[in-house]
Amino acid sequence: MENNKKPFSLKVYAVALFVAIAVLLSVIVALTFKSKYVAFHPDEVARTYADTIVQTGDGYNAYKVSLLSLNEKYGDFIRQQYMYPVIYREAGYKPGDDTKDLKGYNDESYMGEKSKNDNGALQGQVIDTMYDYYVALAASGWDDYDRIFTSYFDKLVEVRKEVFGDDYITDEIMFTALESNVSTYGKTLTGTVDEFDENTGEQISFKSTGAYQTAYGEDYKFTASVKSENDISLDSYKAALDSGYLELVGTTADSIEEVKSYTVEVKDQNNNAVTSADIVVVRIGSSWYVDNSATDTSSLYGFYK
Amino acid sequence: MSDKTNKKYLKKSEIITFGIGLFGVALMTGWMPDYTATFFADFAFKGKGFDSVVMGNAISMVFLIAGFIGAVCELVIGYLVDNTRTKFGKVMPWVGFGVVPLAVISMLVFVAPNTNSQTLAIIWMFVVYSLYTAFSCAVESPANCYGSLCSPNPSERSSAISIASFLRSVGQSGGMVVILVVGLIMKAVMGQQQFQNAEGQGLDLVISTAVCALGLILFTMIFFANNKENIPFTQEKVSLKDAVKVVFAHKNLLMVSLTKLFGFGRGVYGTVSLYIAIYLLGSKDLKLALLLPMGIGTAVGTLLVNLVLKKFSTKQTFILFCVYGASSLSILFLVSRGIGFNDGLIIPFLILNFFCGLQHGNTNVTPNIMIADCVDEIEYKTGKRQEGLAYAGYGLFSKIASAFTKGLGPWLLYTWSGYAVSTDANIAYAAQTDSALNKMLMIYTIIPAVFVILQGVPILFYDMVGEKKENITKALMERREAANKTGEEA
Repeated sequence: MENNKKPFSLKVYAVALFVAIAVLLSVIVALTFKSKYVAFHPDEVARTYADTIVQTGDGYNAYKVSLLSLNEKYGDFIRQQYMYPVIYREAGYKPGDDTKDLKGYNDESYMGEKSKNDNGALQGQVIDTMYDYYVALAASGWDDYDRIFTSYFDKLVEVRKEVFGDDYITDEIMFTALESNVSTYGKTLTGTVDEFDENTGEQISFKSTGAYQTAYGEDYKFTASVKSENDISLDSYKAALDSGYLELVGTTADSIEEVKSYTVEVKDQNNNAVTSADIVVVRIGSSWYVDNSATDTSSLYGFYK
Repeated sequence: MSDKTNKKYLKKSEIITFGIGLFGVALMTGWMPDYTATFFADFAFKGKGFDSVVMGNAISMVFLIAGFIGAVCELVIGYLVDNTRTKFGKVMPWVGFGVVPLAVISMLVFVAPNTNSQTLAIIWMFVVYSLYTAFSCAVESPANCYGSLCSPNPSERSSAISIASFLRSVGQSGGMVVILVVGLIMKAVMGQQQFQNAEGQGLDLVISTAVCALGLILFTMIFFANNKENIPFTQEKVSLKDAVKVVFAHKNLLMVSLTKLFGFGRGVYGTVSLYIAIYLLGSKDLKLALLLPMGIGTAVGTLLVNLVLKKFSTKQTFILFCVYGASSLSILFLVSRGIGFNDGLIIPFLILNFFCGLQHGNTNVTPNIMIADCVDEIEYKTGKRQEGLAYAGYGLFSKIASAFTKGLGPWLLYTWSGYAVSTDANIAYAAQTDSALNKMLMIYTIIPAVFVILQGVPILFYDMVGEKKENITKALMERREAANKTGEEA
């Protein structure tokens, strides 16, 4: 009897396997992306925004899921709108200008001897001096980011000049000072623990009690979750939009396809509600962003007092 | 050599596709360990509020246990390979079919379960990474074994192994290019900040893993479809006792494997390279610039070894490169001390780094050729052809040596050198004493140089070269011809 069994073809197997695995990997990546990528989930975007603020009083980093980060990196937004106008003040910089041919205070010719020889100690002094100013500006909330950035960087230039005796300033110096202050402020809320370098045994952090610990106990734990979705009409929302703000973040009202509002509630370790905030999120394309201009987060700061 | 031993068995395309196959496997296995560590530590359970100290210790344990599992799997897979008899050969089925679970499990390592239980999270890390380790052994070891089965002609075999080793060493760094390109594409598609948010969830790692897994399938399938084994397997079944005996009882194979153990400290330079970039060259961004000349040197060295092997025996080549390697590292040390740690050192340091990299070509290629020769010797003596176990033995010693390297490197840097950690929140890296800087330089140069010499010591007792090797090759060919004739007559 004739054997009709076809021989195993390595080439057919290779092609079929490649296609099958390509499909399988694509499905796994798509599912993972869909479940993990926060911007695809409006409730998670709202929750993340509130959670970032409430955990460490950090309204600065919360903006990374907001419209401020829509068209460019949040850091680039801050550079263009608030840092470069200070650095290139004399060159008459306007947001969006190319800085390549501009001479600013970041030019090394503005560096005095102290700037050239600083081993980090003077920069640390500047950061320490700025801390109280930062707390006064931002501890009650970051909703008015424009005032915070403008005032903070103006003051930083002033303080740095006092300490270093020159006009030299760069975006890196500005970010370092601000982010250090944001981080330090967060630690005053959460408290710190003794930490030792695992290799040298040297103590790198000391125990301190944070304001949250004082109010809710040493082992406090805050959990932010979406409590409810609120009614909001796209038409009335769009009618109330500030066109100047939309232009600033690089979008238009027509690009906004959907709007939702969520009440995010924060509970402590005993499941008691400690505070809440209504967060407005909008969909542009397939991603969701917090509309910080329509959101009041003041209740997420200072609730522990 | 006679005409018989000079006969060519490989098509040119087969030599290339062998290299492509090893490139594909190395793309995956080179990507996984480092990026898995960062995924487990930084992204897998982000925002779950797990105790970071417990998680940090658990991750260290995951890799330690995986190291042991890998060592055991090397032997088990070697044993299984040597007992495999199929129409595709003995190693090709492991490569051709083993890549399917390897690709899938590699992908699953980067898909963490959504759990709030730290215990469950730790169990998952142990299970999924152990599975990855087992499947990677099941593909990587047999793929390397192919070198000894591709041709009975030792010269042709050496050339094929050299080229494949070169492509494998390129593949090991391929993941760095993949993540760079994936990042650029994601930025272009999503915008800068959204990319950064996705990166914060480790999604660029997920996509890059998928790309590496697809590359694994593509390149190994090219290899699987185009290459065949050109040495028939012997029919005797191998017992587990024989398996262990193969690894430890054959002097030449043991000597080649011992090079790994004797030279385990060669790799400690990797631990200190970041600090060399910071303190000696002035910026941590120069780490890539530091490793790039060495990487290029390694690639060039891999090709250079092939040329040297045409003039010298494997034993002479190995020892020659050991002496050269130790000398180049010593020169780097002396030049650095002479110039001092300033800007003037950067260019000479990077140039000398290229020359230091050349020696790595030897360790990538020559032992693989020696093992193939040892397989011939074992077949000549015992009548059994045991590529699987021969490469498994080498792999076993490699894994033990790697564990020692991982222990020695941090000890030298953080304890012996007197490295000072920054305690200022605003300063990333503290100033170091001259003594600490000199010791860091020694960890990068002189200490590896000592181990480079030590790795050559076992090879002094290796004797599968010259007339002995030629006679064994000839005898095996005659034996196979006779076996073929008997088979045809029967």
